[in-house]
Amino acid sequence: MPAELARRGLAPFAVALFGLAVSGYLTVEHYAAAPALLACPESAVVNCAKVTTSSWSQIGPLPVAVLGLGYFLVMTALTAPPAWRLPRLNTVRIAGAAAGVLMALYLIWVELFRVEAICLWCTAVHAAAVALLSSVLWTSSSSR
Amino acid sequence: MPAPKTSARRPPAPPLHPRRRNRWLVAGAPIGVVIIAVSVLVGVKLGTGSGPKSGTRAETAAAAVVQAVTGVPAGVLDAVGVGTSTQLPAAIAGPALTADGKPRVLYVGAEYCPFCAAQRWPMIVALSRFGTWQGLGQTTSAGAPEVYPDTATLTFHGATYRSELLSFTGVETESNQVVDGRYAPLDTLSAADAAVLRAHDPSGGIPFVDLGGRRATTGASYSPAVLAGKTHAQIAAALADPASAIARGVNGAANVISAALCELTGGQPAAVCTSAGVRAGAAALADSAHAG
Repeated sequence: MPAELARRGLAPFAVALFGLAVSGYLTVEHYAAAPALLACPESAVVNCAKVTTSSWSQIGPLPVAVLGLGYFLVMTALTAPPAWRLPRLNTVRIAGAAAGVLMALYLIWVELFRVEAICLWCTAVHAAAVALLSSVLWTSSSSR
Repeated sequence: MPAPKTSARRPPAPPLHPRRRNRWLVAGAPIGVVIIAVSVLVGVKLGTGSGPKSGTRAETAAAAVVQAVTGVPAGVLDAVGVGTSTQLPAAIAGPALTADGKPRVLYVGAEYCPFCAAQRWPMIVALSRFGTWQGLGQTTSAGAPEVYPDTATLTFHGATYRSELLSFTGVETESNQVVDGRYAPLDTLSAADAAVLRAHDPSGGIPFVDLGGRRATTGASYSPAVLAGKTHAQIAAALADPASAIARGVNGAANVISAALCELTGGQPAAVCTSAGVRAGAAALADSAHAG
């Protein structure tokens, strides 16, 4: 039933909104003149600025934060309650969410083995990507 | 009639409907896969230690260290002879390497590299017999897991060499500081020197030393193991003791390099080129040529 499905679709929508908010914060921080804007503890392992200002924080000309923002914008649109009334978008939603998880795994590898620091805000985005895939799969399987 | 005995316990929960159980599996699978993947990554990270590790950041070399390494007594060098030097500069064919009308020595290495760390000591000892150094810095090679980690050394980055007889180009292509998982670039190799490196060291191994286009060597001339755990001051002090393993390695290699340099300078300065240590180095070079 579309109404029921839309109600269940609130979970992925909320997760996408959360990812969008954190990505937006990281994007603002990326372009901010004062890097101190990034509220993050700093230790030998945790260092957000080291990650977000490293040479790995860009893919080609695009900052990873901007890519994340764009990704969650699209996923927010795809998981908005009206979008769940279009079952043909299911494959796109699942593929998009899965791509986000793969990207998150790649970025975790970069943090661990290249930058050698963990960014807590980035970790929040990675967790959002995993939760998004999980909730999208849950909601999509309800529609079958 | 007595009432039937009833249990106070609640009845067991009904099993999940297969469709609902399927949904849990589908939704939980990505979380499980990610947890496993991240665990593997963290496990590999912890198991391998990590990627490259920075060495000590270069700083101006201590005056006492510079004085000791640039002024090894001739008697000590003579007493050591070729010492434990093993990697002798081999004769090469090609155009002479010159600058300002003088034979030029080209060194290509990197600050993180432990073999470069070892090779700089005898190079400085040898070249000091033909000229003077300024601006030498002191540093260490990279930390573990690099082989011979944290080997104390001097660096040619920022150093200048003056001599009436020879010219010197020292290129440290990378520092010993890890930035974003890689050693930070330092000096730029000129196109001409890159061509020299490709011609005589196709694999790009470092340290590479070209002695005036006449001889070249790749790698350390003695084992860096003799420097393990020693400070700059300890190494510098050991150079004056001909019986020490460090002097036998460093000074022995310095005598061989000096002999090769004497080939370039036409035997000048005579006091250096006719010394017992350099003659021993020249004999070793001649022997290696015959052996080759």
